[in-house]
Amino acid sequence: MKRTWRFWFALWAGKLITKGLLVAGKKGTTLPGKIAQWFDPEIMRHLSVAYTDGIIMITGTNGKTTTANLLASIIRQSGEKFAFNQAGANLVTGITGALIQNTRWNGYSRASLALLEVDEATVPKFCEQVTPTLAIVTNFFRDQLDRYGELDTTVRMVRASLPKETVLVLNADDPLVAQFGTDHEPVIYYGVERTPDSRSESQETREARFCPVCGTELTYTLFHYGQLGIFKCTGCGFHRLEPEILAQNVRLVEGLLLFQVGETPFTLSLQGYYNLYNALAALTAARQLKISDELIEKGLREFIPQAGRMERFYLPDGEITLTLVKNPTGFDQVIQTMLGVDKPLRILIGINDLAADGRDISWLWDVNFERLGMYEASIKQVICTGLRAEDIALRLKYAGVPVEKLVIEHTLTEALDGLQANRAVEEVAFICPTYTLLFPLRGLLESRQQNGGLSRPKAKAAGEGAHS
Amino acid sequence: MNLNICHLYPDLLDLYGDRGNILALAARCRWRGIEPVIQQASLGEDLDFMGMDILFLGGGSDREQGLLVQDLMRHEKELRKAIENGLVVLAICGGYQMLGRDYQMANGKILQFLGIIDIWTIAGEKRLIGNVVVEINGKTLVGFENHSGKTYLGEGVTPLGKVLFGNGNNGDDGEEGVRYRNVFGTYLHGPLLPKNPRLADLLLELALKRRGSDDPLTELDDSLEELAHQAMVKRLMK
Repeated sequence: MKRTWRFWFALWAGKLITKGLLVAGKKGTTLPGKIAQWFDPEIMRHLSVAYTDGIIMITGTNGKTTTANLLASIIRQSGEKFAFNQAGANLVTGITGALIQNTRWNGYSRASLALLEVDEATVPKFCEQVTPTLAIVTNFFRDQLDRYGELDTTVRMVRASLPKETVLVLNADDPLVAQFGTDHEPVIYYGVERTPDSRSESQETREARFCPVCGTELTYTLFHYGQLGIFKCTGCGFHRLEPEILAQNVRLVEGLLLFQVGETPFTLSLQGYYNLYNALAALTAARQLKISDELIEKGLREFIPQAGRMERFYLPDGEITLTLVKNPTGFDQVIQTMLGVDKPLRILIGINDLAADGRDISWLWDVNFERLGMYEASIKQVICTGLRAEDIALRLKYAGVPVEKLVIEHTLTEALDGLQANRAVEEVAFICPTYTLLFPLRGLLESRQQNGGLSRPKAKAAGEGAHS
Repeated sequence: MNLNICHLYPDLLDLYGDRGNILALAARCRWRGIEPVIQQASLGEDLDFMGMDILFLGGGSDREQGLLVQDLMRHEKELRKAIENGLVVLAICGGYQMLGRDYQMANGKILQFLGIIDIWTIAGEKRLIGNVVVEINGKTLVGFENHSGKTYLGEGVTPLGKVLFGNGNNGDDGEEGVRYRNVFGTYLHGPLLPKNPRLADLLLELALKRRGSDDPLTELDDSLEELAHQAMVKRLMK
């Protein structure tokens, strides 16, 4: 492919800005990507040809970042270098920036393998220029509808834009994802036999009650979570296929997720059964890359959770688990995990409604907070913060959590203080923020961890500035 | 005392936390010693509109809305009769549009609706998305809208309120929703009632009145509801 003057301008401008940002003490791929796009709108195409070992794309609603990081952890075990858009920079500009970072000034790439997390709405634009070797589709749930229109549209868009040559790695248990395999080849499915939480009836939010192929109501013999499970359509025969990569003997032992695929046992140090799917997706892709099960096992076992994905902080007043919440299914899973601990709970929920959080917070009413209401005896306190602190408090009131246990606190440092105040030894603490509150809270937790629990005025200022 | 609340097509019209409205109605009944009987009804079911006290119709995605128009048409006569008889209806977004005459699609095709209220909807070019504040008789209503259809009211049809912030029915005439007998149609989707307890109680009052009870509703402690309501009014109207 011919690289024009536009390409070189774009590449060098992008690299210059990356350098400039580094000198200024900042990391960033979005701005360099943006400038490079301005010079050469086709730059992704031009950069992508260098990846002769393959380009792995990861998309879907939930689990993109965790799956990408799990796979990265495995590939690191194998020693191969790869380009990677870390930290969820998953729009065109972020992807472009990551590829530029991995390309030398002379246009040669530092790696021949790329691992790219791509936002669902960006998939069409991305695939127009780049043909992924492998595309992992994790799941589809309702997420920030105000940004994307409706879920149906997103699913259709992603499906229509996947190139014919791409090998699809699909979640067999999600009908919305599994349908991609009905007219595509080759496809590899991954799925779960059952988890201790699997039920024959569902009480949760479900996106796809109806067959995505013919519209008949789907019947399930088992629900894993959300619409994920063993489904069948009595109308057209569309059904959950037996996956090549099947997790069996799934169980939680002392905060570790154990499972086996075939004869091989695996260990994951992540809470929440939804993370099992992320591990399976990474495992499936890794096997495609011909990485041995031994290295895969090590990569999964030694994986350190990404910022705010069931991330643990060790503070003097006790351990706190921080986990991002962004849609009903994800939040339902977090609630399930919190209650599964079976200890008295102290919870801090932070809801913002900025663009990155989703402007519409109606989804809070689709979360099954009634489960918290049902087990309110084990809830010590829920502190509500963020621009929509009042809304989440109100939601919890209607879910049956006694008003006396609800606290509204807009200042993050105070909210965190409240979470730890008078905390008994056996009580477990969780913090569940939406996206724009995640990093301010994480900053506070990190500084308190380092400072032996004393909060610094500096950290307070940073937290405040970012959320107001 | 019982109050029959029917959530129609909860499996199809379930976008944006619609069930919050049912949760609010049910809780506000229970807190007053009224037993809410929630019926969830879907495609193909027999419905007794006259026996209902409150009917809730939510919003759905285009595909799912298409599926149920046919089914709803089956009930047109009885629903019309019940509405004329004073049935309390809360219809939101797609549910609101379907009570009107028709939907004129971008390609010129016309989708016939129930025609119970003289309103019609025209496909718009851009989605009207965002927070909304509406004024009804000097009081505010807060919510969130997300629709591409633009709805217009026929001569003499009363809007629900006046838009103070946001777009409302069509973004042109400054009006939002419709009020026809005891029917409340609105674009404020999802959990409208929890944060607008006055509207929730108005629905309950009207429903009880239709049952022949004129007793005023017991006062509830709505301080959290008011706090959530005022937080948005303050933020948007400053």
